[in-house]
Amino acid sequence: MNIHKPVVVLAALCAVTIGLLYTAPADAIQRGARTGINHAHAGGGGARAANVNRPANAGHAANANRGHPANVDHNRDVNRNVNRDVNRNVNRDVHRDIDVDVDVDNHWHDGWYDHPVATAAAVTTAAVVTSAVIGSIVYSVPPSCVTSVINGIAYQQCGNTWYQPQYAGTTVQYIVVNPPG
Amino acid sequence: MSPTLLRTAICLAMAASAAAVQAAPPTAQGRPAATASTAATPAIDPKAVAALEKMGKYLRTLKNFELKGDTTLEVVDDSGQKLQFPGTVQYQVRPPTGMKLTVKTDRKEREFFYDGKTFTVYGPKNKYYASVDAPPTLHGLIEVARDQYGIELPLPDLFLWGTPDAPTSALTGARFIGPARIDGTVTEQYAFRQDGVDWQLWLEQGDKPLPRRLVITTTDDPAQPQYAADLTWNTNATFKDSAFTFVPPKDAARIQLVEVDVVAVEEDK
Repeated sequence: MNIHKPVVVLAALCAVTIGLLYTAPADAIQRGARTGINHAHAGGGGARAANVNRPANAGHAANANRGHPANVDHNRDVNRNVNRDVNRNVNRDVHRDIDVDVDVDNHWHDGWYDHPVATAAAVTTAAVVTSAVIGSIVYSVPPSCVTSVINGIAYQQCGNTWYQPQYAGTTVQYIVVNPPG
Repeated sequence: MSPTLLRTAICLAMAASAAAVQAAPPTAQGRPAATASTAATPAIDPKAVAALEKMGKYLRTLKNFELKGDTTLEVVDDSGQKLQFPGTVQYQVRPPTGMKLTVKTDRKEREFFYDGKTFTVYGPKNKYYASVDAPPTLHGLIEVARDQYGIELPLPDLFLWGTPDAPTSALTGARFIGPARIDGTVTEQYAFRQDGVDWQLWLEQGDKPLPRRLVITTTDDPAQPQYAADLTWNTNATFKDSAFTFVPPKDAARIQLVEVDVVAVEEDK
């Protein structure tokens, strides 16, 4: 099996919900325990440097005093927290696709414990596919692929198909790209 | 005991419990009574809150510290069965601009570097690394890593306690449970509740109230999966300045770290 079917939507959804310890396939219903109680709110994600030292209470006045007279504002954080984590899921079967070489980590799966799901999804769909679409994402490439570094960028070349690895969260994804020139 | 005395005793007991139910607020009841009425308003013991604040204040005074965590994560599978996954976390921290982190599980190993300017993710086995510009403080990094790159640095609370981002106003319950020994050290066990999580903390006794164990129970999931971390500290660590700056090994290759938003855009295509 040289070429893997793109699982673009699934892969993208996975990437969106990635945590250090979680990767969430869209169709999975498993979920992990929360690993933190509080959330940092130093500033907005976009203009990060400028906002880092902004007082954490800024901008949360709308939620002040809801049931917590002693302190202001963090009700918002709690709610957001819950939503994030509820949507996280993991792992259908840890032992599935154990022969798939992902990420070269222990020749096992990528994912703290979770990635096998994404791998399984990618590989499962791969069976029915005949071509790799540029821009599509897979979570593993065949072991026969060759690593090439061109202009400082790492690629995996698998026959005529070129993949560019990238970290989505802490998980390595492979995007199908045009042959680097 | 004669029948008469027995009746009297029963009557007294009933009267006493009736009085307790009517008159006593939950906080005034003994622990068993409070446990029995968990649905009622949980008590917030000011001493437990004070212990939490004292710990947070102390954590924020640490200058150079190493932290090892043995972690256990529970995951609920399709069938509703909880599965456990162990791992280790090793932090080397010089607040507010130095952090090196190694996270290992049976399935993945990653190193993270932060020197106040650059944040790097590195896979020691896959040899891929990705570096991005980072906020000027560790506190900011925790947020950016999570929101912008989808990376939840482990045990974030260790860096948030003692700051406004860990408000005790969020607590709906706070109790002192009792003394407990962890790895030979006498600690105090506390139990806290807030929206979505029940959590427990074991704090070293004395003037260095380090958290030695943390258990977080996810209560908005019916299966209530837990995360537990046993923590070992070195609060007098010494680091070279270079410890926090990633220098790629010769055989390492640079790749990109995808922003969460970028991925979302791709999804729309």
